[in-house]
Amino acid sequence: MRMAISGIGISGGFGCGVAALRQALQCGVVEPRQCSVERNGAIDTFPAYRTSLEGLDEFIPKRALRRIDHFSKMTLHSACLALQDARLSGGDLSRMGVIIATGYGALKTTFDFLDSYLDFGYSCSSPTHFSNSVHNAAAAHVSMQFKATAPSLTVTQFEMSVPSALLTAQLWLAEGRVDQVLFGTIDEYCAVLRYCRRQFFATGEQGPLQPFTFTEQSAVVGEGAAFFVLSRGEEDARYGAIDAVTLGNHAVVPLTLPHDDLLIIGADGHAKCGRWYAQALTGRAVAAYAPLYGSFPAAAGFDLAVAALSQQDGILYASPATAGASDSALQVVAARRPLGKANIVCLKFGPGGDYGLIRLSR
Amino acid sequence: MIKTAPIAITGLGCLCGAGMNLAECLESMFRNERNPHPPVRFSTDHPVSYPVLELREDFKLPLDDQQTIYARTSQLALAATLEALTDAGWDAASLRGKRVGVCIGTTVGCALNCDDFYRAYKDGDDPEMAAIERYLRSNPAAVIARQLKLDGPNQTVVNACSSGTDAIGLGASWLRAGACDIVIAGGADELSRVTYAGFSSLMITDTEPCKPFDVKRKGLNLGEGAGILILENESVCGAKAPRGYVLGYGSACDAYHLTAPRPDGAGLKQAMQEAFTAAGVTPDQIAFVNAHGTGTPDNDRVESRVLSEVLPGAPFVSTKGYTGHTLGAAGGIEAVFTVACLQRGEIPANIGFADADPELPGTPVTENTRIEGTVALSESLAFGGNNAVVILGKGAA
Repeated sequence: MRMAISGIGISGGFGCGVAALRQALQCGVVEPRQCSVERNGAIDTFPAYRTSLEGLDEFIPKRALRRIDHFSKMTLHSACLALQDARLSGGDLSRMGVIIATGYGALKTTFDFLDSYLDFGYSCSSPTHFSNSVHNAAAAHVSMQFKATAPSLTVTQFEMSVPSALLTAQLWLAEGRVDQVLFGTIDEYCAVLRYCRRQFFATGEQGPLQPFTFTEQSAVVGEGAAFFVLSRGEEDARYGAIDAVTLGNHAVVPLTLPHDDLLIIGADGHAKCGRWYAQALTGRAVAAYAPLYGSFPAAAGFDLAVAALSQQDGILYASPATAGASDSALQVVAARRPLGKANIVCLKFGPGGDYGLIRLSR
Repeated sequence: MIKTAPIAITGLGCLCGAGMNLAECLESMFRNERNPHPPVRFSTDHPVSYPVLELREDFKLPLDDQQTIYARTSQLALAATLEALTDAGWDAASLRGKRVGVCIGTTVGCALNCDDFYRAYKDGDDPEMAAIERYLRSNPAAVIARQLKLDGPNQTVVNACSSGTDAIGLGASWLRAGACDIVIAGGADELSRVTYAGFSSLMITDTEPCKPFDVKRKGLNLGEGAGILILENESVCGAKAPRGYVLGYGSACDAYHLTAPRPDGAGLKQAMQEAFTAAGVTPDQIAFVNAHGTGTPDNDRVESRVLSEVLPGAPFVSTKGYTGHTLGAAGGIEAVFTVACLQRGEIPANIGFADADPELPGTPVTENTRIEGTVALSESLAFGGNNAVVILGKGAA
């Protein structure tokens, strides 16, 4: 069943909103912020694509946000932007389902809860941190904010979170459980994540992010939230529609792709995932946009937002970084070009060859 | 919402504090036995000791080399999956070439709750990454798909305590939509120091064995385990006699509070109504209800009121007195029990219940009870205001 995309709300390292994403696609450069973490007296400085919550209080009063963590604030911000973009703000949203896909959930709050008992003893564990660390807390805040009493779902499956959760959005609409789905993808940065990435990847994360150097680790950490308003109605398809969602494992049954489609791949500088793109795609026209928003599991939702914008604009934007492209048998889209009659497919691989394929059309 | 086609359940698998497989669980529950005790696998400095229902210490995954590769939640999910697949007549080899989906609910199984690692990090040490690597390897649905070399959709649902019920309803939808031929669906969760601390901070854990629906109920006992159902479409199931059917699934959000259920139960009623419509059955056809029945004052109050309003006279039982509250696993375990009880034609006593609460309009069954009928309902309420309901039918097996 086709899912019309009628609204997008997004915030990431490039800024907030569809216009900021379009601007980033047009100029092809987003410089990550230089961040630092102090640990054992040493300063660790590294690039990261961080998001800002600027403008959130235009939608929700600051007072109402006091006990809501950064993860849920990012969620609410992009959710509000998506509903505004779809011209649904303030309407009756009781038949709107809420689906959130996240790779890691509310990391900072998870560790804040551990802090509460590691620092002060178990009898001082924080109930506020605990209840906000539960993975579906962000979806609950969205449902409460918009009085959305239809089904709510949170999916956590690392790189496959987005395509997997999208499959459920499609089913809910097909079964008539909901009239629209507010579909969100989100992950956040935190200092412990930096420690982990440094341990895993040593100095390989100093940038620049090169998605097509598949065998080298060049990922730069990112964070952000992308939300979509999805519905059955063709008349709502301002950004085109999602035709099909497929999940599988290339290592078990090799992936086959329709020949004429243009591919937006989720390659983001992770060597363990990159090798699968190198194996599965030969001679294909591909683009990758991770250098505009960084590396995080839910970034597959950002690829989807780029695909939707490309459909609206009738343009496939240039890949912001092409290093390594000549070493592979791919035709990397190095300059913007008209989309023509081609459809766009978003492809994301996980480290074990598991993949998600999202096919869009106008 | 329209009526949906029944989906065959061909296999069941379960392990929890009540037993190491489904047969053991049923045996102990119908003997009305339970074994809550202070946690053995971890300790805390909390001045109060809350009883839990842990798996017996002799739990071992029936595969080689997996004890340390995967986190405990995924080990539990795998163990219940293997039991359910055997029950359905499948093994890993016979699944090759089939489109097999995996839909698993959990809470702890997806949380980065590595507190030993984090303690060392906070202390300024450079902790090794083994705990994080294990976490990254251990997404429950992905583990099952990887271990059995499956090619199909997989999804790990993290809808707090309704995750298992949601996973079963979503898995059935995959089959109806033709996304795959077989689905491994259910829930899994391990006991964890983190959830133990979290639930005690919310002051909704009982210092004694829990007492669902009783006037003196003070909260839940945590538990752990996994409950898995094998769902098959008609072309795969063929002439096999199913254990039961998924007839309908409904889900709704209270949109009211992060941790407390909506007092009027509107979300639960909406989920029930959706499940009835999907199943094409009426409330008078319900033989019994496997209630969420955590033993917390709020949950049991709301649930009792809704049951008496929507299903007056239908016998109901909370099995959490036997299993503890297994969080994301609860919906899976309770769906397995529901199908098994339909087959047996009886439900166990609601252990822990002694005295009726005058505030509650209904009381659960107080002894093992024969049931008539072929349709039952299992429901879950969750943090975030989630309500999920599955309506299950009796099979011919």
